[in-house]
Amino acid sequence: MLRITNLHARVAGKEILKGLSLELKAGEIHAIMGPNGAGKSTLGNVLAGREGYEVTDGEVIFNGKNLLELEPEERACEGVFLAFQYPVEIPGVNNTYFLRAALNAQRKYRGEEILDSVGFLRLVREKLKILNIGDELLHRAVNEGFSGGEKKRNEIFQMAVLEPSLAILDETDSGLDIDALKTVAEGVNRLRSKDRGMIVVTHYQRLLDHIVPDRVHVLADGQLVATGGADLALKLEEQGYAWLEDGGIQTLNTDPVKQTANP
Amino acid sequence: MSRLATQLAADLPGESGSGLQWIRALRDTGARHFRKHGLPTRKDEAWKYTALGVLEQGGLRLATKTEPPSTPSSHSPPLAQAGFNLTMLDGQLLQQSGTPRAGLTVLSLADALSKDINGLQVLLESLPQGNSGDGFSALNTATLDSGVLVHVAAGTDGGRLMINWSTQAREKSLLFNTRVCVILEPDARLELLEQFESPQGNSNTCNIVLQADLGENADLQHIRFQQESEGAGLITRTEVSQQTDSEYAYFGFDLGGGLVRHDLHATLLGSGAKSDLSGAYLLDGKRHVDNHARVDHQAAGGFSEQFFRGVASGSAKAIFNTAVCVHPGADETEARQSNANILLSAKAEINTKPELEIYADEVIASHGATVGQLDEQAVFYLRSRGLNEQEARQLLTTAFCRSVSDRLRDPQLGEVISQRMMDVMPQAE
Ligand SMILES: Nc1ncnc2c1ncn2[C@@H]1O[C@H](COP(=O)(O)OP(=O)(O)OP(=O)(O)O)[C@@H](O)[C@H]1O
Ligand SMILES: [Mg+2]
Repeated sequence: MLRITNLHARVAGKEILKGLSLELKAGEIHAIMGPNGAGKSTLGNVLAGREGYEVTDGEVIFNGKNLLELEPEERACEGVFLAFQYPVEIPGVNNTYFLRAALNAQRKYRGEEILDSVGFLRLVREKLKILNIGDELLHRAVNEGFSGGEKKRNEIFQMAVLEPSLAILDETDSGLDIDALKTVAEGVNRLRSKDRGMIVVTHYQRLLDHIVPDRVHVLADGQLVATGGADLALKLEEQGYAWLEDGGIQTLNTDPVKQTANP
Repeated sequence: MSRLATQLAADLPGESGSGLQWIRALRDTGARHFRKHGLPTRKDEAWKYTALGVLEQGGLRLATKTEPPSTPSSHSPPLAQAGFNLTMLDGQLLQQSGTPRAGLTVLSLADALSKDINGLQVLLESLPQGNSGDGFSALNTATLDSGVLVHVAAGTDGGRLMINWSTQAREKSLLFNTRVCVILEPDARLELLEQFESPQGNSNTCNIVLQADLGENADLQHIRFQQESEGAGLITRTEVSQQTDSEYAYFGFDLGGGLVRHDLHATLLGSGAKSDLSGAYLLDGKRHVDNHARVDHQAAGGFSEQFFRGVASGSAKAIFNTAVCVHPGADETEARQSNANILLSAKAEINTKPELEIYADEVIASHGATVGQLDEQAVFYLRSRGLNEQEARQLLTTAFCRSVSDRLRDPQLGEVISQRMMDVMPQAE
């Protein structure tokens, strides 16, 4: 469903992604790990279409469409969802109002019926129950004054309501207490289906205990330098990233993803 | 004197009109002041950014009472239901409807003047008339006749009183002068809701002076919502004097008008009085909206807040001037000022200036004034969830102004006003 080929991207004039390739098939969950500053969030932002991220080479095909040609809202309507590493606070915009406007914008785009407030509320209640979260955050302005963990929970809640076909979770598990971690895991596992794909950016194994990924990639210096099965994450947790440095690009286990060599 | 001022001075009636001696004397004072100083010019500090050229070009003439208003023009639905409603057409009280609550008295000003209602003379004579910047007030006093008196008896609640203002479109542009007097006796309460709206093609200007006198522990909520047509002028002055422990809450919404000027001034005369002034102005096209808000703390233990938000697009121009003066003896005063603005186009202009003077002890004061753009991070966040760029910007701009309508005590009214703001929300360019 998602094919990233030889992606090069610059931020503020500096090349951050240096020929990244990745293929995600429908139904798969891939984890991306890697040192700070490697370019993980940059990849998420490029996929979501944030301004200021200049793609200089490569392509991204999502469900047969050239993703990089679409506006951010078109990508969202096509089913791309990025759970931000640092969700912004939007004073004055009510969380529920915003989410309903977003959902209806997406439904309209897909030619589906607009949900009225009653229908929307029913959906919201159902999702809250599944994720085992209270409704107190709903009545507040989007992320305003939310704690770090509450912001992450809110991202997962949005994901549950919007039901994207491609979800990219950028460190959604960082800074979470044990219950919130379960909420995130539950959100991901509930969404998991044969026609959805997910990319989970994380620094820790603990989330991957709940969400067993099909593939684990290591992103370092703008490229995927290693790819393996779920056990790669365990190895990284034990040994860090240093052991990868000498080896360059490695392919562990039986890996179907072809790596494009750095020119 | 400008050509316009000379014309208006010539339009003034030769004699001081009918009525009691003090009223004629008062009109004379106004007329003398106007003949001497004329209208404010950009040389007056308070009028630095507002020129009256458009009024002059429109050939504005002073309205005389010879043409009585005919049918009330069509108004969009009222913002809210009120117990008692007044229709003001061409500056004159045309119609009253509903039943006033016990304790609430509403009279046409002409009626009130002929009855020499208690407290009215003191109130009318108290309007400060200083320099050449006060030309519109002087003109208003010189023609003192049309308007309303609102009186709420001690210890009673007048409920909600709604005033619908409009003028009729004509061949020529007329200047209507109206005075509104609001007297709240001790412990009285009132919610005054003013709605201004004139039909398209209208090029009249209203010059309205509102004077409110709040007795001890009285409570006045004043909501002013104007959505005047593009050619209409609205020059208003609100003078509020507050006795001990009284509370004045002002909520102003400027959504329309061609040339709009509002001087809002509260004077805290008694200790423990509270003045809570807030407003939003949303400008597009070539609109020009100039708001001057000032609070004078003359007694100890007072509280004031000025909270204003503005949005300008097109080649609109907004001026916001907020001033607080804490006079000697007004110790333990708390005064807050906050004014934030969003510019949506490169040709729009916003001038904001906070002023603060403190001559007392143990004063807590804060002030801030900003002009900025929308938060692009927030725009992207909304777009990444599916809203298009225009929807995202509109949502954020409305939210910005909503921080004012959310302050209204009646959440339902706040919702209606916020929806109206959303409907006219200027677009980014
Ligand atoms: N707007 C920007 N201006 C300048 N440099 C930027 C900008 N955004 C990202 N960078 C740089 O790009 C590099 C990659 O950043 P990115 O946020 O993608 O890292 P990351 O892999 O997500 O790291 P972390 O694990 O710390 O979240 C960093 O060196 C960062 O400083
Ligand atoms: Mg990151």
